[in-house]
Amino acid sequence: MTPQDRSRDVVQGTLDMLVLKALSLTPMHGWGITNRIGQITKGVLTVNPGSLYPALERLQDRGWITADWDTTENGRNAKYYSLTAAGRRRLGTETESWRRMAAAIEAVLRTT
Amino acid sequence: MNPMNLAALLRRRLRALFRRSAVEREMTNELAFHFELEKQERMRAGASSAEAHRAAIHAFGGVDHVKEAYRDARGTRPLENLIQDLRYGVRILRRNPLFAAAAVTALGLALGAALAVFNVVNGVLLRPLPYRDPERINIIWLAWRWDDGNVSQLPLSSGSYSDIERDSRSFDAMAAFRAWPYAIAESPDAEREAVAGARVTPALFDVLGVSPVVGRAFTRAEAVPGGPNVALISHDLWQRKFGGSRDIIGKRIYLGDAPFTLTGVMPPGFAFPRGAELPAPFQFGTRTDVWTPLVFESSDVSNYGVQNLVAVGKLSERCGTGRCSASAAQAELTTVLRRNIPLNDQPKSAYKLVSMAEQAAARVRRPLLILLGAVAFVLAIAAANVTSLVIGRVHARERELAVRSALGAARGRLARQLVTENLVLCLLGMAVGLTLAFWGTKVVLLLVPGSLPRADDVGFDWRVLSVAGLLALIAALGFGVAAAYAARLRFTRAAVSVSRTRRVLVMTEVALSLILLIGAALLTRSFISLQQVRPGFDPSNALTARVTIPLVGRPQPLVDGARWSATFDHIIARLASAPGIVAAGGVVTLPLSGAFENGGVRPVGKVYENGRNPSAQVQIVAGDYFGAARIRLVAGRVFDASDDQSGRASMIVNRKFAREHFGSEADALGREVTALFEWARDRPPRVIVGVVDDVKTVSLDGDAPPQVYVPLSQLPAYALTLVVRVSGADPLAALPLVRQTVHEVHSSATLKEIRTFESVVADSLAPQRFNMTLIATFAVLALVLAFVGLYGVLALMVAQRRREIGVRLALGATPATVVRALLGEGLRVVAVGVTIGLAGALAVTRVLSSMLYGVSTTDGSVFAGAAAFVGLVAVLATWIPARRASQVDPRTALTAE
Repeated sequence: MTPQDRSRDVVQGTLDMLVLKALSLTPMHGWGITNRIGQITKGVLTVNPGSLYPALERLQDRGWITADWDTTENGRNAKYYSLTAAGRRRLGTETESWRRMAAAIEAVLRTT
Repeated sequence: MNPMNLAALLRRRLRALFRRSAVEREMTNELAFHFELEKQERMRAGASSAEAHRAAIHAFGGVDHVKEAYRDARGTRPLENLIQDLRYGVRILRRNPLFAAAAVTALGLALGAALAVFNVVNGVLLRPLPYRDPERINIIWLAWRWDDGNVSQLPLSSGSYSDIERDSRSFDAMAAFRAWPYAIAESPDAEREAVAGARVTPALFDVLGVSPVVGRAFTRAEAVPGGPNVALISHDLWQRKFGGSRDIIGKRIYLGDAPFTLTGVMPPGFAFPRGAELPAPFQFGTRTDVWTPLVFESSDVSNYGVQNLVAVGKLSERCGTGRCSASAAQAELTTVLRRNIPLNDQPKSAYKLVSMAEQAAARVRRPLLILLGAVAFVLAIAAANVTSLVIGRVHARERELAVRSALGAARGRLARQLVTENLVLCLLGMAVGLTLAFWGTKVVLLLVPGSLPRADDVGFDWRVLSVAGLLALIAALGFGVAAAYAARLRFTRAAVSVSRTRRVLVMTEVALSLILLIGAALLTRSFISLQQVRPGFDPSNALTARVTIPLVGRPQPLVDGARWSATFDHIIARLASAPGIVAAGGVVTLPLSGAFENGGVRPVGKVYENGRNPSAQVQIVAGDYFGAARIRLVAGRVFDASDDQSGRASMIVNRKFAREHFGSEADALGREVTALFEWARDRPPRVIVGVVDDVKTVSLDGDAPPQVYVPLSQLPAYALTLVVRVSGADPLAALPLVRQTVHEVHSSATLKEIRTFESVVADSLAPQRFNMTLIATFAVLALVLAFVGLYGVLALMVAQRRREIGVRLALGATPATVVRALLGEGLRVVAVGVTIGLAGALAVTRVLSSMLYGVSTTDGSVFAGAAAFVGLVAVLATWIPARRASQVDPRTALTAE
């Protein structure tokens, strides 16, 4: 899928970008990702599991993230997702194109 | 996506498919963990456990819903559905073993027959020949246009071959070859084994692109006058005779009495030329085992008289500016011909290229395609049968399908499942079919030993397997769609049209099987008439065997002829005086053995227009051939001791020859005929001393041509087929005597093609027997399938109407009226089927016309008989269930359900 295609599919594209962004600092499990996105956006954006887990599957399919079972601080088994090199590059281009689009929309909004 | 990611993706998909339970467990654990954290989060914020639980559920949005979304994202859904459907299909079949067995048997039998025939068609007609660039390999014939417009394809003389080999530019390589029987032995004293050999120019192996697997081919330098005796042998012969020993290469072997150096062994399977692929008179063995160089003496290069070479060339890829076409090459060769032979007959002759594959296939294409058509009928009948069964199953599963539909299964999903279920059925049928076809092909090939061209090239390959797979898929799709259609009709309460569909299917089955049966009956009638044909000789109580005197170098009848003749006379004389032998003789080309020779003849004192010069079939005979073969003498005398080398050159002719040239049998006696086939030139004309009956030499279904007989003593040959008439019932009992006599007279002479004369005649009918047997088999198969189909439909109809029948019986109907009513319904279907079948047969049997003898393609008695037989079978298939219905007990029928 090319970036042009993605820009039309804003909701899904945005979710993918948010997940990649959330994982850019450290590997996390599913709940951690939801929590992190909620924290960063101060609760403006919430990601429900029904969208999150399919998105995680998709991102794995594309080779942007990988999943491994690991132990949490509380000694429980959890599936941790981490960013791959390809995923990091992807985050870069996604951020870039998002900024361009946001700026364009901003410009449109300013002129009227 | 880069390949690494692709590999990772593939791994994930495969894991999702094959480790499904593990993947599911992980998903459940992961989601449970998520839910747990969600709940803990709320409890930390001060909510009670119960409140937190509720809130978490609210936030989570339904575990099952999430799981479904998660599964969908795995991307293996369609495959998972397929596997699920397949499992379900297998379960359904196992729950209905009778239905499964009936359907798989019908499909398996029909597919087995179809694939066996296709396997043969594929090997003979479709597969490329096992040589390099086979599409460029062409046989080069000399096409001769007769005055009546017919064109004969003649072999080449060494002169014309030398011309085109030297002058043509259209070929990468060109070679000539001819049959040469050999007797092989490891040492001079060892027993000799007769093998099929060929003398070939060394370029043959370049034309075919085949080289020895062990050792080397012989070279051009070795194929010259006075060159060394060198030979190549087949892989098969190497294994059989020399145990596959490499030490033998470069060593001596004995062919006839002469030592040859073995230069190499050809690859396994290589047996070119294979007899069935070239016209029979060339007398190549079924598989050639020995190759020796074909050498042209200086006199051969200018010999245009003896046409005995088959030429083969590999067209060049490029000629001048464009691709080499066969027609351009033909034109070029014909120019060479015109330049080199200044004959008045020139406009009548031209070169003709026939691709090697076409050469092999042409003779059998039509019969094979007819067989393929016949087997397609069988397949159609089986398909109709199984469709009918499948529709019947839908009826039985009405409740299940309705429940699933009510539970929310989409119509498309149900249809897909029906197709998948039938896929299981069809794959099973295909497996059975392939197994049957594997053995069936062997049986089919056994029916035509040595006479089916390219029989060695027949074997399962990707084409056969794809056709099998394709047929199974199409069948599954067809049955599935039919089932889905029937299911829809049932839901809409249109049960009537379902049973109408089944009736139409049965009609089709009856019609198709009747057409096949008529075809089979026509071929059988034709075969019977052929067997009653009087061939002009009496094949009973006679043994035939071919004796070959080994040659050193080329045959030189003028030098060695007297010796050959004396050897054969000696053998025949000793046999004739042995106890239990009624008469003994010999002939060079045994009638109906596939071999025959033609030669020019000029009755003295008659003038023929240019181009209308007469020819006749030439039979060289020895001993009391006419007595041994019981060929009736019509006038004059048979040959005797006076017709020897020193006596007056004599000839016996058949009635046809006598009538054609002299008006009557009696008038032919004493007349003189110049033979153009004498060994030496300028021989005096032969005098006709006798007239005998016409003998069918080429085939039983053709008329005997004009024939002339000359004594072997006056026209010697080194190979002769003995005909020995015995007094006992078993001609083969004389074999030890024949063997011993031949061995005693000439120790290195070989005996082969030992058969009773009757089996020679029977073997000449092998192609007819092949067609008849296969089509009859298919007709029987078709009839059985149609019987089962008809029975099935009627039985179901009776089962469905038990209640109605019960009511009728309770209301006073007699069992007889019930039977009559049901029988009437069944027979209406049959009557329509038979009518369609008769009309179809009238249209279709025309394709058989060239294969029939003594029976017309629209023979009334055959049509009526076949229709009556099919009708009888159909009545039986109807009567059994109808009778069962009449035995219904009204009480149980009414209280049932």
